[in-house]
Amino acid sequence: MITDYSTTRLRGVALCIVCTALLCVGCDSGGRATVRFWCGFTGPDGRTMLRMIQAFNEENPDARALMQRMDWGTYYNKLFVAGLGGRAPEVFITHVENMERFFQAGFLDAIDDLVDGAAGVDTDDFFPYVWGAVERDGLHYGLPLDVHPQGLFYNKRLFREAGIVDEAGDALPPTDRESFMDALTTLTRDTTGDGRTDQWGFVFTWLRTNMATVTRQFGSTYFTPDFDRCVLTDDATVAAFSFCADLIQRGLVPSPEHFDAWIGFRQGRVAMAFEGIYMLADLEKQSDLEWGAAPLPVLGDRPAAWASSHVMCLRAGLDPETRAAAWRLMRFLSDNMLDWAEGGQVPARHSQIDSARFQNMYAQAAFARQMDYIAYMPPVPFIFEFFSEFDRAAERVLRASASAVDALREAEQKVNVAIERQRRLTEAGGGP
Amino acid sequence: MTARRFWRIYSGYLFLVPYAVLFCAFLALPLGYGLVLSFFRWEMLSPAPPQFVGVDNYAEAFQSDYFRNALWATFRFTLMAAPLTVGMALLIALGVNAVSDKRRAFYRAAYFAPAVVSISVAGLVWRFFFQGEFGMFNAWLEPWGWRVPWLTDTRLAMKSIVFMTLWWTVGGPMVVLLAGLHQIPRQLYEAAAIDGANAWRRFRHITIPQLRPVLLFVAIMNIIGSFQVFGQVFMITRGGPEQSTRVLVQYIYETAFTHYRMGYGAAMSWLLFLCIAFFSVLQFRLMRER
Repeated sequence: MITDYSTTRLRGVALCIVCTALLCVGCDSGGRATVRFWCGFTGPDGRTMLRMIQAFNEENPDARALMQRMDWGTYYNKLFVAGLGGRAPEVFITHVENMERFFQAGFLDAIDDLVDGAAGVDTDDFFPYVWGAVERDGLHYGLPLDVHPQGLFYNKRLFREAGIVDEAGDALPPTDRESFMDALTTLTRDTTGDGRTDQWGFVFTWLRTNMATVTRQFGSTYFTPDFDRCVLTDDATVAAFSFCADLIQRGLVPSPEHFDAWIGFRQGRVAMAFEGIYMLADLEKQSDLEWGAAPLPVLGDRPAAWASSHVMCLRAGLDPETRAAAWRLMRFLSDNMLDWAEGGQVPARHSQIDSARFQNMYAQAAFARQMDYIAYMPPVPFIFEFFSEFDRAAERVLRASASAVDALREAEQKVNVAIERQRRLTEAGGGP
Repeated sequence: MTARRFWRIYSGYLFLVPYAVLFCAFLALPLGYGLVLSFFRWEMLSPAPPQFVGVDNYAEAFQSDYFRNALWATFRFTLMAAPLTVGMALLIALGVNAVSDKRRAFYRAAYFAPAVVSISVAGLVWRFFFQGEFGMFNAWLEPWGWRVPWLTDTRLAMKSIVFMTLWWTVGGPMVVLLAGLHQIPRQLYEAAAIDGANAWRRFRHITIPQLRPVLLFVAIMNIIGSFQVFGQVFMITRGGPEQSTRVLVQYIYETAFTHYRMGYGAAMSWLLFLCIAFFSVLQFRLMRER
């Protein structure tokens, strides 16, 4: 009896093993080139991307794209470790400012032969700034998927109530420092009369990108032109930080300490916020908020808008067949960019931006008007060290726990230590 | 030696093999590897091969104010969390021990329940509780006109995290202490009561000494756990505001897996290990005496 039972069981196990083996064989049958595609699109954008990947697989029976999504917070760690172990996916997304470290580590393959090849793309169609950002030593190491610039989101109802309107009576967003300050002083007020401000003209949302925009508008470059040294104590950066700290000091803008900024905007208690186009999904879900989108007002002496791009990169060292399939996927995604733009992105190509379909996307088209002066974060290999220090300086200055000069000097020193370490290492090990 | 005798002696080792393999593969070897690594400069971003630098990484840690701040944040957390957790666990265990057998199982389960929740979920939920604008705690305090900057004030953020940790972890030590209380012979209390000892003296002279080994165990485990705090902080504040809650494990994580400085990360991990070892031994000594 006992023997019978175990034999049956054994047979079951064997059957399972055979089935699994057959399934695995099935996966690889048909000679389809498998292209693994990694990205960090875990939000609503991920669903759009998944649909695009499915469409690609239907159109290309000889290739199979497999998308893997993981949270941006840990995405780069995983990607980097996979790359070191030689297990990087064939195609992966990086933000343009993070490309440099993947380039330096030797993970990326130049795509110039593919771009110029039979199934190529017209590179003149790309915005020069965007296409130039993926270039290293005359070669291009990625195909820009999109651009996501920061822009001005504003509350139309609050603007109308404050009488900041055009001739037609529509809310009129500010365009320069003067109109911004006017709007700010009018819109920041105590509506209940209890002595506490409960409606704010403007809030700082994500300090890093907000401060990036303002400093760029004041003329900051963060580094010497050859990225040899970090410069944060220049007049432009100090002036930009001081300007922002002053707004808080004067009670016109809430301290980041006590206010959940983006929530405040969505609650209708904030009239203006600088945010990325990707916040669109949040706002579109909300029917009780009359929001508008416009290019950022110019607070310094020149226009600038923080932006980043998702870049599709190709893993170095692929066999020709897989490489061709991977390129087809990259091209497919780039060509179908307008589907992607619907979710809150700006295409990287002129022809797509100029299309009627894109111009009908209200917020995207408004933010795309800034394409001539978008500003990426600097392409340095020590970008994460720079971010940590920049974030910390912004937090300290806006929370008034350090003066702009002190906080920026400390940040500058810390980044320079990282640069110096990098340099010593490169010299010692004969690096890139 | 007969086969039977051989098996009687060595079969025990056979049972140890599976764990010994895991122990070596995932603990002993990485530990040794980490120690070796801590004497090398190895930055994954650079194609340069790892390079022996002696104690440079340790020297850098001692000179770095970020390391000092992270260490201090870890100490602050441990100094608040460990005594509070053990003290609170003891109080709850005494309370639960005093109720009738039938109800005891319910209370034990109730106090233990939070420990079952994963830290990512607990962290996420508590971040909402603490949220300044629409968080639950501030909503409760609103009628009194209070708005507490739970997570946005540099002096308060760590205390808020300790508070959350208390809720999350108090159940484990409580169950262990409760089991310890059960072990104390009832006759001791009866004899003391006959001798006229009041409740406090019975607690002081019977409960505490009898519970000492269990308390020791609970306290050490808690201190070790507190030194390794990471999940709560990472989920709730990410080390902010102004890095006031950036604890050592988070700093090590960032160093190794954001900046890819493996050697320096390994060196700091060993310093943390030495800290934990030092305090564990110290505590063992203190509580074993007498």
